[in-house]
Amino acid sequence: MESLTLAWPLAQQAFDPSNLPLVTGSPIDGHFSNAMLLVIVVGAVAYWCLQRGVVRSKPLAIAGASLFGLACVMAFSAIPKPTTFPAENSFSDYLEPVVKMCFCLLAAGGGLGFIVAREPVHAALGFATCVLSTCGILFMQHAYFIAAATMIVYAGATIIIFLFVLMFAQQTKLRIYDVELTRPAVAAFIATALLITITYSVSDEGEILPTKMDLTRSRSLAAISNDPESVLPPAMQPGMSPSESAKFVPSKTSGLGRAMYTDYLLAIELAGTVLLVATIGAIALAQKPEEGVS
Amino acid sequence: MNHFDSQNLLIFGGVLFAIGLIGFLTRRSMILMFLSLETMLSGVSLNLIVFSKIHQNYQGQVLAIMVLTIAACEAAIALAFVVSLYRRKPTLDVLAWDELSETIMPKMPDALSDMSEPHEQYPTLTPAGLDPLSHPMPPSLDAAMNQQNSTTPANATEVVQRA
Repeated sequence: MESLTLAWPLAQQAFDPSNLPLVTGSPIDGHFSNAMLLVIVVGAVAYWCLQRGVVRSKPLAIAGASLFGLACVMAFSAIPKPTTFPAENSFSDYLEPVVKMCFCLLAAGGGLGFIVAREPVHAALGFATCVLSTCGILFMQHAYFIAAATMIVYAGATIIIFLFVLMFAQQTKLRIYDVELTRPAVAAFIATALLITITYSVSDEGEILPTKMDLTRSRSLAAISNDPESVLPPAMQPGMSPSESAKFVPSKTSGLGRAMYTDYLLAIELAGTVLLVATIGAIALAQKPEEGVS
Repeated sequence: MNHFDSQNLLIFGGVLFAIGLIGFLTRRSMILMFLSLETMLSGVSLNLIVFSKIHQNYQGQVLAIMVLTIAACEAAIALAFVVSLYRRKPTLDVLAWDELSETIMPKMPDALSDMSEPHEQYPTLTPAGLDPLSHPMPPSLDAAMNQQNSTTPANATEVVQRA
């Protein structure tokens, strides 16, 4: 009983709607996950309405789409806006979160279309939208090489090949296995629970310190860049000031290449081996069986 | 470094993963299931790249490249599987292959509740003759049987001697 009386004000504080940034419009400080919780639940309901409305009734589909829009608006209002602008680059500083937000919305919308659309080709196009927008986000995270590689691998190779198989296997009429979904409500519930867990664990406050790279190996990236004759900037050390460590945002493709071929050489070799084995396996699997072999 | 920005993107990676999860659980077409898997992987690699930005080194990005490699391998193998399965049964429905699971399992998850408590079934015999409770033996027949029982030991010794 005593613990209950202790816990009650905390619970009240946690679930007080006035703490929701959506309601107050105040800058978010530690109550971020409450607003996101609402967004997640509304998104799940929107998915349920849409997947049902697409085949059953048009008004339900419209309701689902507007619920999705509502979830997007709520997410947008829950996300903190920059309050103070630095004197220089103020326009691009303001523009960057907006563009990132647009990419996020586009990716979420594409993903929703992908899991809702009954025509397989439409679903594949929704997937392409989702992946291309994700590539845009990666690009804005200064992961240029991975953005390009993802675009080539997913949007190029995977989508084209899957579309090819869809055309190869697709009849003119819609099939029952395209129209019917297995237990969308249960799946939406599981995904909602997962997302709520992720949101709460991510919203934990706390500083994440930059990690020093391994200096002990002579060929590692950090050791090379600590060489006084090196043209690379010196490796980051713990205890640097924020302005100093801000220079070490991993944004250079050359740095990624160096990390790959010094610190992670064995892993890269392994990845190449796995690719080779997968190629051989795919050829062996897709071969036409000989006559008389079942 | 903008902490909230990274937080948003981590949650967005979770959203991508959840979308892929829903797609994988609900879709019945094999190709769309594999596309859902790719969505989940792209959510994971987005998270890895955001972690790389938070920790300010390249470890996360290298791991994301690994994820990309495995995704490409998986797509190739999955495609070969779909093609060779399609040759045997010209359908993309996964339920067409549910005999690969345990064949004694019921097809729909609804019937699982019936499976959880098995009803014991005993073999039933066809009833023969008269029910002794509803048809008691007439007294004359009873007396005849008693007489036969009393003579049984002598017969029994004869049978044993003959043997």
